[in-house]
Amino acid sequence: MKVLELKDVNKIYNGSEVPVHAVNGVSLDFQEAEFAAIVGPSGSGKTTLLNLIGGLDKPSSGEILIDGTNLSKLKSSALIDFRMRNIGFVFQAYNLIPVLTAKENVEFIMSLQKWSREERDARTFELLKAVGLSDRMNSRPSKLSGGQQQRVAVARALASRPKFVLADEPTANLDSKSARTLLEIMEKLNHEEKITFIFSTHDARVVKMARRVITLEDGAVVSDDIRE
Amino acid sequence: MIWKTAWKNVWRNRVRSIVVISSVAVGILAGVFTVAMMAGMINQRVDAALNEEISHIQITAEDFRTNFDPSLIIKDADKIISEIQQVAGVQGVCSRIILSGMANTATKSTGVQIVGIDTENEKKVFDLYNKIIPGTGDYFETESKFNLALVGQDLAKDLNIIRYSIDTTVLRELKEGGVPEEVLTRLSVISGERFKSEKIFFKKLKSMFSKREEAKYGQIIKEKAWSYRKGSRLILTFLDKDNNQVGAVYRVAGLYDIKNSMFEKRTVFVKNDGLKQLAGISEDSFHNLIVKIDNIDNTNEITANLKRKLADYEVLSWKDIQPDLAMMTEMVHVYYGVFMIVILAALAFGIVNTMLMVVLERTKEIGMLTAIGMNKKKVFSMIMLESVFMSMIGGVIGMIISECVILLTSRGGINFSQYAEGFEAMGYSAHIYPQIEPLFFLEVVVLIIITGILSSIYPARKALKLDPADAIRTE
Repeated sequence: MKVLELKDVNKIYNGSEVPVHAVNGVSLDFQEAEFAAIVGPSGSGKTTLLNLIGGLDKPSSGEILIDGTNLSKLKSSALIDFRMRNIGFVFQAYNLIPVLTAKENVEFIMSLQKWSREERDARTFELLKAVGLSDRMNSRPSKLSGGQQQRVAVARALASRPKFVLADEPTANLDSKSARTLLEIMEKLNHEEKITFIFSTHDARVVKMARRVITLEDGAVVSDDIRE
Repeated sequence: MIWKTAWKNVWRNRVRSIVVISSVAVGILAGVFTVAMMAGMINQRVDAALNEEISHIQITAEDFRTNFDPSLIIKDADKIISEIQQVAGVQGVCSRIILSGMANTATKSTGVQIVGIDTENEKKVFDLYNKIIPGTGDYFETESKFNLALVGQDLAKDLNIIRYSIDTTVLRELKEGGVPEEVLTRLSVISGERFKSEKIFFKKLKSMFSKREEAKYGQIIKEKAWSYRKGSRLILTFLDKDNNQVGAVYRVAGLYDIKNSMFEKRTVFVKNDGLKQLAGISEDSFHNLIVKIDNIDNTNEITANLKRKLADYEVLSWKDIQPDLAMMTEMVHVYYGVFMIVILAALAFGIVNTMLMVVLERTKEIGMLTAIGMNKKKVFSMIMLESVFMSMIGGVIGMIISECVILLTSRGGINFSQYAEGFEAMGYSAHIYPQIEPLFFLEVVVLIIITGILSSIYPARKALKLDPADAIRTE
């Protein structure tokens, strides 16, 4: 089942004298439960493409369809709401809310969506158990290691059962052991929850684990390898 | 979750939040306590005016108040008083004769209003009998073959009836009052001397003591050193009802002190009967009937009622007689509100500054929150709640402290006796008892919440303008 379609998406920045073609005619489809990595050198447009897919930026032309909904056609408030319900984010710098515990960080989005307390508690416990942090539910981010914080971030991203999760360099700030643990968890959740994971990464371990590798160069897709 | 997050965010930078909260608390304390002082002063002034000077309602002949013509009298006063006493809400009625004249002693003379009173009925309306300075006489109970007068303390000073002298009794009382031996030794040099007036006495003290000693001990020395001779002579001259000059010798049978210098200097009380005879006014006639009511809130209603019953006379409420007092009581809530708004507006700048720093520091976090699905309304609410929480915590602490301070000071009052002369010249007591209505705290709470909300608008708008993609990339 197609969860995400990109149709000839372009993003041009007109800031300086010469316009910059950050994303250049990208057309891609993503199915349910895909585990895909977008790779390329620095400046190839990976983060820009992820921002466009996540609705954090608008394409200069082209369409981005999530479950049939064209993101460009949504107004600002509708876009934020759509993002909340359909897209999960995992950031390079974890970006947890420092004043909330691990549990509160995970249930934050569910409370925005007005889930009942029982539903929130059940889902939160399930996810924190899945990422191996059920014993650290009441710890604040400052009391967790980098790897643990990123696992909480993954749990948060999955909380509202989004269509897909966008992970921008999720392992960049982690040591090798933590990175490996995180990737194993994400792969496991990908299988169990059937949620598509799309990574932007330089990390070879991520590339190795991915079942699809999309290579960008100068904003354009130069290769799209689907592995069995 | 927004409320919980906002509450926790307040304590993210504890020191900064405590500084803001403390500034709000101090501002509220200053504002509420100042308002309580103002309210205390105003309420004391109104109470004093009603209980000691004018009461609630006064009835005179038409045009009497224009020039106090002694021929303009209320006849058949007993019948009218009976009618007045039938009106619901009337607590007491007394009658007075009012004549303009001069008060003369051997050394001084001054213009006064001579007020003839009935000592028994006067007690039903006015508190004057409780304001006689102990030891100066018992005017209300004294019977004498002489004409007796009750004189204001400040008038007694002006007429040199009050003298100042230092003797062994005074020195002992000053020692008991805590005045140091060294000061007493210097003071004993003028022991036995009588100073005719306060001015001369104080001039002497100034030459004997330093400014600091004078400020510290001057008041108590003045209080203990003053004296007067009971039965001092006073000549009152005035025009009778036929405009003939009349005069009589009176003996001072008491000094009253109502902390209103202006009133004390111009008002001498004598007994009705004797004064009427001198003024040629018949038995059942008076210049002024004064009504005390049981509830000040019914003033307008009862005044209107009396106006209907006594259409031939001028019926005025205290609001008409002293419109400045009426204005104070009616406008006072406006003043309080404006005063608090000014204080909170000043505090708001501090809160705005703090919230702007908060938004700047949390640019990345706000970008992330928007990215994961927190809409503008919720971002705005979160920032606004942080601002309101800080304002409310500071406000509540400020109100609790101010209530404690008000409770403490309202019992004993705050003594500004070193400025007594200035206060009493304006009709205010130098001993202020702060007061505050509970409703005022509710008004302050509302103002604080509004301040918190308004202070958050600009910082919240800055937060809403952040581009989430750029914000997330912020270092």
